[in-house]
Amino acid sequence: MSAPSNAVLAARSLTLGYGADPVVHGVDLEIDPGEFTVVVGPNGCGKSTLLKALGRVNRPMSGQVMLHGRDLRTRRTKAVARELALLPQSPVVPDGVTVRSLVERGRFAHHTLLRQWSPEDEQAIAEALDLTATADLAEVPLASLSGGQRQRAWVAMVLAQDTGVLLLDEPTTYLDIAHQYDLLQLFARLHRRGRTVVAVLHDLAQAARFATRLIMMDGGRVVADGAPHEVVTSDLVGEVFGLACDVVPDPRTGTPLVIPHEEPVAG
Amino acid sequence: MSRQTTLASRTQQAQPAPEAEYGPPPGVLVLRLGRVGALPIRHRSLTVWLLITAAVLGASAVTLTIGDLGISLTQLPSLLTGGGEATDRFVLSRLRGPRLLVGVGVGAALGVAGALFQAVTRNPLGSPDVIGLGAGAGAGASVAALIAPGAVPVPLGALLGAGIAIGLVTLSTGTGLRHPGRIIVAGIGVSAMAQAFTHFVVAFIARDEATSLATYLNGSLTARDWGHAGIIWGALLFCLPVLLYLAGPVRLGEMGDETSQTLGAPARTTRTVAVLMSVLLSAAAVSVAGPISFVALTAPQIARRMAGAGGPSLVLSAAVGALLIVCADLVVQRVPLGEGLPVGIVTMALGGIYLGHLLIREWRKGTL
Repeated sequence: MSAPSNAVLAARSLTLGYGADPVVHGVDLEIDPGEFTVVVGPNGCGKSTLLKALGRVNRPMSGQVMLHGRDLRTRRTKAVARELALLPQSPVVPDGVTVRSLVERGRFAHHTLLRQWSPEDEQAIAEALDLTATADLAEVPLASLSGGQRQRAWVAMVLAQDTGVLLLDEPTTYLDIAHQYDLLQLFARLHRRGRTVVAVLHDLAQAARFATRLIMMDGGRVVADGAPHEVVTSDLVGEVFGLACDVVPDPRTGTPLVIPHEEPVAG
Repeated sequence: MSRQTTLASRTQQAQPAPEAEYGPPPGVLVLRLGRVGALPIRHRSLTVWLLITAAVLGASAVTLTIGDLGISLTQLPSLLTGGGEATDRFVLSRLRGPRLLVGVGVGAALGVAGALFQAVTRNPLGSPDVIGLGAGAGAGASVAALIAPGAVPVPLGALLGAGIAIGLVTLSTGTGLRHPGRIIVAGIGVSAMAQAFTHFVVAFIARDEATSLATYLNGSLTARDWGHAGIIWGALLFCLPVLLYLAGPVRLGEMGDETSQTLGAPARTTRTVAVLMSVLLSAAAVSVAGPISFVALTAPQIARRMAGAGGPSLVLSAAVGALLIVCADLVVQRVPLGEGLPVGIVTMALGGIYLGHLLIREWRKGTL
């Protein structure tokens, strides 16, 4: 267990929760560099809680989270933010903020008291706006954007942070299906460019299509961990989600696709 | 021809000189500090700041020059270097000079205290005057000055009062300072209690000295001296380095604890330090001028709208706060109807209207 590993992120007997009741029970997990890991599971299974702990937003009840082999708790918030970014599920929109000034905030971790601007900032901001196709919206107030545009602006903010690790907490919630795939394509592109991505997703088909590794959680524990076709099986989905289903290969990609047995009630 | 131009511009784009391509964005001036630093300043913020500062200077000049004892502006330089007529020197160094400096300092302190607290509570209503910091400091100051004069210095009394008020608010929300709505509701209660307490102390101790007690009830700048100016400017100078450090994290804090944390600003530490600074500045302001209402509420909001960038601006809030107080003080000194009133009455009248507007707006938004 204490053998040296080149894992980017590792959870060691991680127990998490709010108050007295743990939500996640003693999870061990290693995220290797260059993986696109997707965590799935039923509502309340602890997947978001786990992701937040990996992002140092939640303090573990016990156990540790290691980033590049060092305990997250022993490190300064700002230093961690240069290596790891997390897109929260429902961030607060500050009054009157424009897309550009939001994306600029992503650069905070790279600033010092006296150096709050550099050409690298501009480069990172320009690239983030470019990748998320929000450059044209730069001067538009966030509050007046559509849901899809707004989510892209938030993604641009965490991209400007320019970190090797990207954690995404249900990034596609509230978006229509076209925007969901838009965003997932973007994450896949970032992954191909060498970022380590860990995302929590609800949709099993999307998870299976984009992930290089799928982690399924239930009741605060990891119940399956592996390639998408190993994890998304009719047995496991039946057991974990309580949904009787067939799993067929996606006709386009060959990745597993869940076909529920439930049929609409006629009449 | 046109084809050549296109090709040429393409080649240029293909091999960019990073420094040349990634300059500051339009509308932003980068203040370069040699090799050690570079601070971005938006043109609009700079312009707004220059305008407000000019207005503060203008109002200050009027304050010094107007009326029977007015000093002519041409005399000012020689007076400041110790020359000039004895009467003018007396007016400047004893009457109007300290009063003006206290006013500017108090305005700046209240502006910053308000901006910090509103950012921490993520709500314009979460400002020191609404949630009882000012009233608490006033109660503390009145006890220190009236019940046991000399035993506890007035500024310390104000600080204790403000500390107790924020402590009560924190305890009675049940969730600390995390939920703006609860802070505001608890704060209004604490504020009312503190005001009632001050009235009790004032009425109990000294019924006859009603005018001199106006300071403790409404806030006043009458008969301020250099000691008062020293307290408020000392507090501002003491807080300045912390405020420089705090400006960035406070801005991120507005996006919620999780986001602020992942962007690199420790949310809880930021909140704690910002509240401490806010308590300190409010207490300093109250100890020299009494609980002047609504400047801490309105100044940051006016500054925010003028800056137009989103996010709090501590510098602009300080400037707007100073302008509000200097103007309000000019009204109570020179405008016939307002003459002789405590300055706090004027700010209360103006701020009360604004508070009503905010309450309605927040209620419509569903945040209350």
